[in-house]
Amino acid sequence: MSMNRIIVLMLLLFVIEGAVMPWIIPAGFGNRIIPHFIFVAVVFSALYSGRHLALLLGVSFGLLQDIVYFGHLIGAHAFIMGLIAYYTGVLLERRRATVMMAISIIGFACILYDSALFFIYKVFRITNESYAWALIDHILPSLFLQLAFALACYVPARRIFESQTKANSEQDEE
Amino acid sequence: MRNKRMFMLMIGFILFIAVIGFSLSDRKELTWPEKFLKDSAAYVQQWFYKPAGYIAGFFEDIGNLRRIYEENEQLRITAAAYSRDKIEYNFVKKENERYKEELSFTKRQKQMYNYNYLIAQVVSVSNDANNRTMNINLGSKNGIKPNMAVTTVDGLIGLISAVTPLSATVTPITELNEASPTFNSIAVTIMGREDESFGILSSYNKETNRLLMTKIAENDKMDISDTVITSGLGNVYPRGLVIGTVESMQKGDFGLTNTASVKLAASFDHLTEVFVVQVPELEDAGQ
Repeated sequence: MSMNRIIVLMLLLFVIEGAVMPWIIPAGFGNRIIPHFIFVAVVFSALYSGRHLALLLGVSFGLLQDIVYFGHLIGAHAFIMGLIAYYTGVLLERRRATVMMAISIIGFACILYDSALFFIYKVFRITNESYAWALIDHILPSLFLQLAFALACYVPARRIFESQTKANSEQDEE
Repeated sequence: MRNKRMFMLMIGFILFIAVIGFSLSDRKELTWPEKFLKDSAAYVQQWFYKPAGYIAGFFEDIGNLRRIYEENEQLRITAAAYSRDKIEYNFVKKENERYKEELSFTKRQKQMYNYNYLIAQVVSVSNDANNRTMNINLGSKNGIKPNMAVTTVDGLIGLISAVTPLSATVTPITELNEASPTFNSIAVTIMGREDESFGILSSYNKETNRLLMTKIAENDKMDISDTVITSGLGNVYPRGLVIGTVESMQKGDFGLTNTASVKLAASFDHLTEVFVVQVPELEDAGQ
């Protein structure tokens, strides 16, 4: 799977996340269940492809998200997504993650991502809520959506990113 | 190797702080890369948002089939009341115009409340819990400007925060916050007593889902379940937009003024069409 194909698929995911998911989430839960599919895809790339690709995808798609939905500040998603993706890649460089391991890592990464975002907004005094409330209100409910998404697209995501690394290493050998 | 990684992290962190500082500064307009990205994203997303809405709406309609009869009944009653009020409104409007003529209002004063409602489609909703912005498919080419009010049929939902040529970003009223550097407060009054009541919507409490209205005079006759509307004082936001209903009243922090909590009338889920309220140009404000 070439790099172009991955980027096109992730752009499609970005569009779906912003335009289709608000309709799928039942009315009344719009503020509580929040999709982070791009982030899940970036963590998959860190698990099965490599930390550098993950850093690149994380920073660029984070920046895209920051700019398209610009409300208060630019750069928060880009920085946090890139950082978490890179260090996930560093932690699991020599191992190939199994399903359970991948899902639990994605779960932890999602909590970390949401918490980091919350604290950035808190530092700049854009939110005044307490962390305990944010955890119950949206971080934990949306975690389940992310885990379901990760489980649903585990097989295709793994195949796509592993074949990308393979293609890359073959090119290097040539 | 480890040193290099630390070094890169520090550079990244500094860059991140710099970019945040840049975006937080009081910018009048977006830079062109931002405009380009936002416009192209909005262009693609509008193909997805609307069909998804139709499909979701179809299933919702099937569920609502039974309630349609009741709704029809209510609508008929409202329509009858409307036609009665319309006659009275026409008389009052004519009279008002005549008075304005006799009192020789300037052109600006006559045009001041002549609002124009532009219908826009929502194309996407942000997936960030702390920043629930929406993008709509009208932009500066259609006459949208920052700080214009955006409503649905139920009531005010937010203000335009950023504009690009073909799309605009709506910051929902739930982001209203006194301490935040990026959002203004809104002056409001009570429907039916527009010239007696006054308050300022200063912040939204996400934990209770209520707006906080402050600076209400102590002798204000505001009561629970009154409808809160924008007052238009200051001429930044248009007047007469429904916001919600008063739910409870308390003494303020210093005991000199009252505060009230306001329940929003509009819902933010499954939005399709929204109206952008275009206030007439006030360039000749000096006259």
